[in-house]
Amino acid sequence: MTAQLAGLAPCTHCGFCLQSCPTFLVTGDEADGPRGRIELMREFTAGRIPADANGLRYHLDRCLGCRACETACPSGVEYGSALEEVRATLNADSLPITSRIVNYVMQDGGMQRVTFAGARVARAVARHLAGPSSLGFAWGMLDATHATTNKHAAHTTASVQEPRVRVALFTGCIMSGLFSHVHEATARVLRANGVQLMAVPGQRCCGALHAHSGQHADAVTLARANVAAFAQIPEDVYVVANSAGCGALLKEYPRLLSGDPVEEDAMALAERTCDVSEILVELGPTVGGPIPLRMAYDPPCHLQHAQRVTDPPLRILESIPELELVPHADAHLCCGSAGSYSLVEPELSRSILDRKVSTLAAANVDVITTGNPGCIMQIGAGLRAVGDDTPVVHPVELLDRSYAAAGYYGSQRSSTP
Amino acid sequence: MPLSPQVRAALVRIVSDRWVRAASAQLETFARDALPTARSIPGIVVLPGTRDEVIRIIRLLAHHEVPFVARGAGTGLSGGALANNDAVLIALTRLNRILEVDPQNRLAVVEPGVVNARLSEAVAEFGLLYAPDPSSQTACTLGGNVAENAGGPHCLKYGVTSNHVLELEVVLPDGSVVTLGSRSGEPWGPDLVGLFVGSEGMFGIATRITVRLLPTPPSIRTLLADFDDLTTAGRAVSAIIASGIVPAALEMMDQVCIEVVEASIYAAGYPIDAAAVLLVELDGATDDQVAAEGAAIEVLLMRHGARSVRAASDAAERARLWQGRKKAFGALGRMSPDLVVQDAVVPRSALPEVLDSIRAIASHHGLRVGNVFHAGDGNLHPNIGFDRENPDEFERVEQASAAIMQVCIAAGGTITGEHGVGVDKRRYMTDVFDADTLDGMARLRQAFDVAGIANPGKVIPTHACREWTQGAGRHV
Repeated sequence: MTAQLAGLAPCTHCGFCLQSCPTFLVTGDEADGPRGRIELMREFTAGRIPADANGLRYHLDRCLGCRACETACPSGVEYGSALEEVRATLNADSLPITSRIVNYVMQDGGMQRVTFAGARVARAVARHLAGPSSLGFAWGMLDATHATTNKHAAHTTASVQEPRVRVALFTGCIMSGLFSHVHEATARVLRANGVQLMAVPGQRCCGALHAHSGQHADAVTLARANVAAFAQIPEDVYVVANSAGCGALLKEYPRLLSGDPVEEDAMALAERTCDVSEILVELGPTVGGPIPLRMAYDPPCHLQHAQRVTDPPLRILESIPELELVPHADAHLCCGSAGSYSLVEPELSRSILDRKVSTLAAANVDVITTGNPGCIMQIGAGLRAVGDDTPVVHPVELLDRSYAAAGYYGSQRSSTP
Repeated sequence: MPLSPQVRAALVRIVSDRWVRAASAQLETFARDALPTARSIPGIVVLPGTRDEVIRIIRLLAHHEVPFVARGAGTGLSGGALANNDAVLIALTRLNRILEVDPQNRLAVVEPGVVNARLSEAVAEFGLLYAPDPSSQTACTLGGNVAENAGGPHCLKYGVTSNHVLELEVVLPDGSVVTLGSRSGEPWGPDLVGLFVGSEGMFGIATRITVRLLPTPPSIRTLLADFDDLTTAGRAVSAIIASGIVPAALEMMDQVCIEVVEASIYAAGYPIDAAAVLLVELDGATDDQVAAEGAAIEVLLMRHGARSVRAASDAAERARLWQGRKKAFGALGRMSPDLVVQDAVVPRSALPEVLDSIRAIASHHGLRVGNVFHAGDGNLHPNIGFDRENPDEFERVEQASAAIMQVCIAAGGTITGEHGVGVDKRRYMTDVFDADTLDGMARLRQAFDVAGIANPGKVIPTHACREWTQGAGRHV
């Protein structure tokens, strides 16, 4: 048995994970819950269920991979890594076509540029096409990638006098393709906190989509490229991710590249990787101007469950004067985005999202914030599908706006969310 | 006899294709509850979404005399929700609506699939709670609680599930729907609610459960005492009970449990070098009263050998202390791949000696045991670790479990406190009940279920069983 699958051994079948599982909460089906899936994985790897057993892949594919079961598990079952491994075995040559396309685009630099350039052009009309149908939902996702806060890109290259720390931003695929405004806001906010930013060439997609869907070889290729790119920069430079999904995988590169010649470099990268909220909390952060809004924070699964980063985003949001944090029910549950899940399992994904949208609507807020591109798009599209135009933004965008309001960037224009 | 295609098709017509599970891998996931020593693949699984669907399912099955088993969250520890391949497993997880909360009359009406902790969360805004709090309360369902007459730490003061159920709407195994008890809490005639609660699925399926809610105590104090050895801690429990103060809860954990909890995300701050800790909770109407009782208990604990006693300083610390206790069973997965939680009750005065005996039995069989239990009511839960892939170890677990049961019975106790008999404890039934009593139980069961289709093969040893031959002559 591999190390990944041995991580399932501590499961005592207690069921304490069930109520943390978004798919179980929707269907009530044991096979759609973590405990049932663990049973499936154990029986499959023990050879007691064949790979083509009716229902096996169906239920494993329906898992979001949100890993909320891991933070509910008293015995520390390592569910996520086992799922990736079993999926890699099962999906070796039969991945859904949608996943294949998405994964291919993210992997190929040229395709990625062309796709995102096209998407940015189409984005101009996305608002008018967004709606509740499947197609309308896709347009809603695209529309949710619009910059809604500071649209200026000034000062992104200005150097910082006497920097407190040096940071390299992990640029990623979709973050640079559709969320460049979040990257710009991140850069401005970090500089305002005395951070010197370093450009690191040679970065690629983190490989999370590939790893989660079981395309192990592709994930490894991408991971190696990123490990090599960051091995070029001095050891004291932090690597900052502003996408929870990317940050989670960067931190897990040592597992992905276990036994690989670059394993040590992968460990070095994982050790210096942090979420943007972690480094900001470490630095203070600088207090900006008031944002008198009601705000709901929806924690991304790959931040709270995979990285176990729960407090830092709240700390930085609390540091913004007059921004009121309004709690909403079941905030810890996944929104149903989960990489390409919303495209591959649209029905279940939408049921999960409906719960999220109704709890957020009940909170009656002016702005929703979450630190992951998939979640921004998913929640954004879900709101648009019910005609709700509450903006969904990244926490650093709010901090950025607060700094603009305080005049830290000189005279700037800013739009309201 | 396997299920007929006719019955399968009729089930699909009732709940639709979407809510029937018949594929091999799907059935595999329903083969166990939280008892690791038994598994059984059901014939088919249905997930009804409404009470009416449950009624139609039972009527269909009664008509064809097909056995059925009700299942909640599958957190049971005695195999009560296992179904054979000739039976229909009815999963009630989708019946999870809280139908009514009546704060004035302090009651709630729920469907059987409502999760225990969700009810207390939902009524918290009225300053109310649902008192029975099994350790699995974040997962287990109220329907399952009713079936097993579930207990929990706070049942020491507030009583078990049967003390909190007012009225039940039940689908009897013949498909008729009856109401037992009444929501006013005034019982008339025989206590049929009391009979149904704890009947382990043999008397039918409760589709609506009306429960009593209690006001949240205004003042709560939670103490953590640690000890150098388990026997001393057991004596301290007896001393507290003898003092006349009734704590809301009085729980004990031994070193094995302390270790695994402290290694988990539910780490509570228990001292890891202690041989045992006691968690004592006091509650009441006023801070003064609770503080006075707390001080008295503290003195008592120190006098009876506690190394130190500390009180939770705020609600967050109190919650942490309880989370650690309640997640201990899950955390014990760190000790070994599989885990049998035994459940027995002994007179509280016998606790120190019985704990010694359990330790001796475990060491005799070369097994590791962790004790985490409701010390205040003498309800023991030795957790025996093993690996189910190791047949020899599995056999030793079965032997050790039986030996522990014999010790508890000899001490004047009985074979289950709150986990039920299910399939696991059937073999001990003849050790505590004589043939006449078992015969009476069988007759009562028959009064509810003439055809014998509701959760067959559970609880009562049948005359086919070797253990019970004497009483069989008079059994139909």
